[in-house]
Amino acid sequence: MANGWSLIIGLVFIIVFSAVAWFVSPKGENQTVWRSSLILSAWSCFIMWAITFLAQWHPLIEPRRNDLRAHAG
Amino acid sequence: MAPHQDTLFRSADMSLTQLYIANEIGREVVSALGELGVMDFRDLNESTSAFQRTFTQEIRRLDNIERQLRYFHAQMDKASIPMRSIYEFDDANTLAATSASEIDELGDRSQSLENRVSSLNESYETLKKREVELTEWRWVLREAGGFFDRARGQTDEIRQSIDNDDAPLLRDVEQHAPQEETERSFSVMNIGFVAGVIPRERIAAFERILWRTLRGNLYMNQSEISEPIINPENNEEINKNVFVIFAHGKEIIAKIRKISESLGADLYSVDENSDLRRDQIHEVNTRLDDLKSVLRNTKQTLDAELTAIGRSLAAWMVIIKKEKSVYQTLNKFSYDQARKTLIAEAWCPTSSLGLIKSTLQDVNDRAGLSVPTIVNQIKTSKTPPTYVKTNKFTLAFQTIIDAYGTAKYQEVNPGLPTIITFPFLFAVMFGDFGHGCIMTLAAVAMIYWERPLSRGKQDELFAMAFYGRYIMLMMGIFSMYTGLIYCDAFSKELAIFPSMWEWPEDFQPGEMIVATRKKGYTYPFGMDWKWHDTDNDLLFSNSYKMKLSILMGWAHMTFSLCWSFVNARHFKSPIDIWGNFLPGMIFFQSIFGYLVFAIIYKWSVDWYAVGKSPPGLLNMLIYMFLQPGDVGDTPLYNGQGTVQVILLLLAVICVPILLFLKPLYLRREHNKARALGYRGIGETARVSAHDDDDEDGTLNGNRESFADDEDGVALITQDIGAGEEHEEFEFSEEMIHQVIHTIEFCLNCVSHTASYLRLWALSLAHQQLSIVLWDMTLNIAFGMSGVVGIIATVCLFYLWFVLTVFVLCIMEGTSAMLHSLRLHWVEAMSKHFIGDGIPFEPFSFKVLLEEEPVE
Repeated sequence: MANGWSLIIGLVFIIVFSAVAWFVSPKGENQTVWRSSLILSAWSCFIMWAITFLAQWHPLIEPRRNDLRAHAG
Repeated sequence: MAPHQDTLFRSADMSLTQLYIANEIGREVVSALGELGVMDFRDLNESTSAFQRTFTQEIRRLDNIERQLRYFHAQMDKASIPMRSIYEFDDANTLAATSASEIDELGDRSQSLENRVSSLNESYETLKKREVELTEWRWVLREAGGFFDRARGQTDEIRQSIDNDDAPLLRDVEQHAPQEETERSFSVMNIGFVAGVIPRERIAAFERILWRTLRGNLYMNQSEISEPIINPENNEEINKNVFVIFAHGKEIIAKIRKISESLGADLYSVDENSDLRRDQIHEVNTRLDDLKSVLRNTKQTLDAELTAIGRSLAAWMVIIKKEKSVYQTLNKFSYDQARKTLIAEAWCPTSSLGLIKSTLQDVNDRAGLSVPTIVNQIKTSKTPPTYVKTNKFTLAFQTIIDAYGTAKYQEVNPGLPTIITFPFLFAVMFGDFGHGCIMTLAAVAMIYWERPLSRGKQDELFAMAFYGRYIMLMMGIFSMYTGLIYCDAFSKELAIFPSMWEWPEDFQPGEMIVATRKKGYTYPFGMDWKWHDTDNDLLFSNSYKMKLSILMGWAHMTFSLCWSFVNARHFKSPIDIWGNFLPGMIFFQSIFGYLVFAIIYKWSVDWYAVGKSPPGLLNMLIYMFLQPGDVGDTPLYNGQGTVQVILLLLAVICVPILLFLKPLYLRREHNKARALGYRGIGETARVSAHDDDDEDGTLNGNRESFADDEDGVALITQDIGAGEEHEEFEFSEEMIHQVIHTIEFCLNCVSHTASYLRLWALSLAHQQLSIVLWDMTLNIAFGMSGVVGIIATVCLFYLWFVLTVFVLCIMEGTSAMLHSLRLHWVEAMSKHFIGDGIPFEPFSFKVLLEEEPVE
């Protein structure tokens, strides 16, 4: 389901979102604030998500534990 | 240039305007401009002291009225009559005197009211004093009766004790009473007495002094007054005692009087005859009753008067405050005697010029004046003040920036990206869905009840949170997002999607088990929840969060560094692009950009699938400097050594460029200008229609000038070279400046990147703290069963919740906020912020009333 393509799809989505946000931001004296805030928050969130995704894409270690009861997991 | 809207991105265009105002409507014009609140008037009479200015007389008069209003307010406080709040006026925002005569009227009214209130007050206080005296007298009469009855029975004894020095001071009273002749009068026996009232705490001193001065020749009786006496002057309660002193001889009596008066006792006349005394008491009682009714009437009149005042006092205060500020502003204007006009200079946003002109036209029309008020835009080389228009949402964010420094006129305002980056970096440290929810709810509540909250009294801490309610809202929302990414809600996992890990089917309890990964599936959003409570959870999340903070820091710093490019473009100084921005950017990217690339590259390769061992990035970075070209046994990719050598060389080359390019270029430009015959002019001439000779001194203020380069109007400014250079060009200074900048920049690249690791440290601390809190409270309760379990769960839940709010949300939140603040002020703003601007402080009634609110 989720593999390397998600990153590309996410990136495309964010670019499209940014473009849309640029044009649909309400006109008026706060347009700049709307544009900057929408686009910046979209990118911040994307970067955060992408980093997390990348970190788990090819994990070098696996979860280990010894306190599990049978059939709990 | 096309008129563009003033945005948060950079300061609005400002113009210096000159106003010619007919003297008659000066007050009205300034008052109208105060309502608009867009003009920052310059002081044209800086050399004149406050007392010599034109409108000092008016200001004094208004000061007096203000004092009277404060007096009313104090009186109302004393009588605990509430003042009608300013918010209850329908027209609270437009309260203003429309004409000067209205102010005169208000002045007269408040004068007469003051006289009335103070006379009422005076008579009230006199009456009150009289009442106290009468009350005390009544006590004396009442208590003295008892003394006399007792004393009369012992006249002999008294005599004896007074006459005979050897007589014992104390004698068994019962033995000698009753005496045979009880009706013997004191006067016959030549015994006089003094009666009065004295504060209780002085009684001991009083007795001792009397005893010593009279050598015991007295007989004193006293008793406590059961109720405290109220001092009308300061409303304090004092406990007092009634005393009667019997003594022998006129002189001694006179002495006793003197002593008691000097000790603050009040003496009252008492008749020794009990019938007369009864009459006296009766009389005192009637007088007291009369007095009380008079007092009540006076009080009622005073209260009625004050209540009437209180109904409009707030409005008056606002009006007077506005009026006073109007005259203070008028005092900044210069007055042209010949033309009977006032001349003002003010900075205002260029976009508001139309509004200003139409307002002035309105004022003129209303006054029916044929002479129009003239608004002149003047060209100047002075630096305009920086004005970033904010609204209630952006205000707090802008305050964060302004607290660090005012941006240079028209440079990129970091306040705009701060709206997102500040709460986001906060959230990276604070990431927890539950805590984010609490914060968001608190912020939403504060925004929902904005109006009532802003009017109520706030303590300091709450006022701070309330001021930053929109910051809190953004912080809360982003914390919820990062909480989802970290997969933490009150330290518990959130299983939104199926995990990418599977535990083995059969195992012995207590056996170390290792999860296996589902084929080709990566957890789609955030951290996999199966990492929670595992043994190597920290190992994984530390590596992840550390890299996360490096990447975030890199992104934030690169983003900030780019603004220095935008600034250089805007100020049209290409040398800042070639000599500062580009080499700086290349230096930064070839080291830290490469590190970021390496991190991402390492993540995206499936090392076990390709059968290689993953390289350590830390060693890679260290050996990149120590042994360029040597990448050890575990290369990240082919040709890594060459790439690293090239990058390192790029970085090294950038340092001399950063060091020398700009100073050398500036020197060449300077020499070229000199060769062409320009001399360092240094001063700029300005033509001001305001022909005052002694003004020149103030024109070339010590601000750095800024050349306005975008209009076709005659620019009567002479600028040389780079436009911002007005001081004599000094190569050594420029060089030193650049050396400092270079060293700082290169070192900061390292230390600032390391500084972003605080994102990791704080988010780790936050997560661990919430885990510990859970384990120490609720987890214990869940381990119990039965009734004890229920009670423990309830109690520990409250404990857990209170600690979550106070420790994890408020305390941890504050600390994360401070760290985020630092990352903005130091790490980000040092990359582009010039910040030597002058804040724009318009003359505005709104600002005035916000600074000094009327209740």
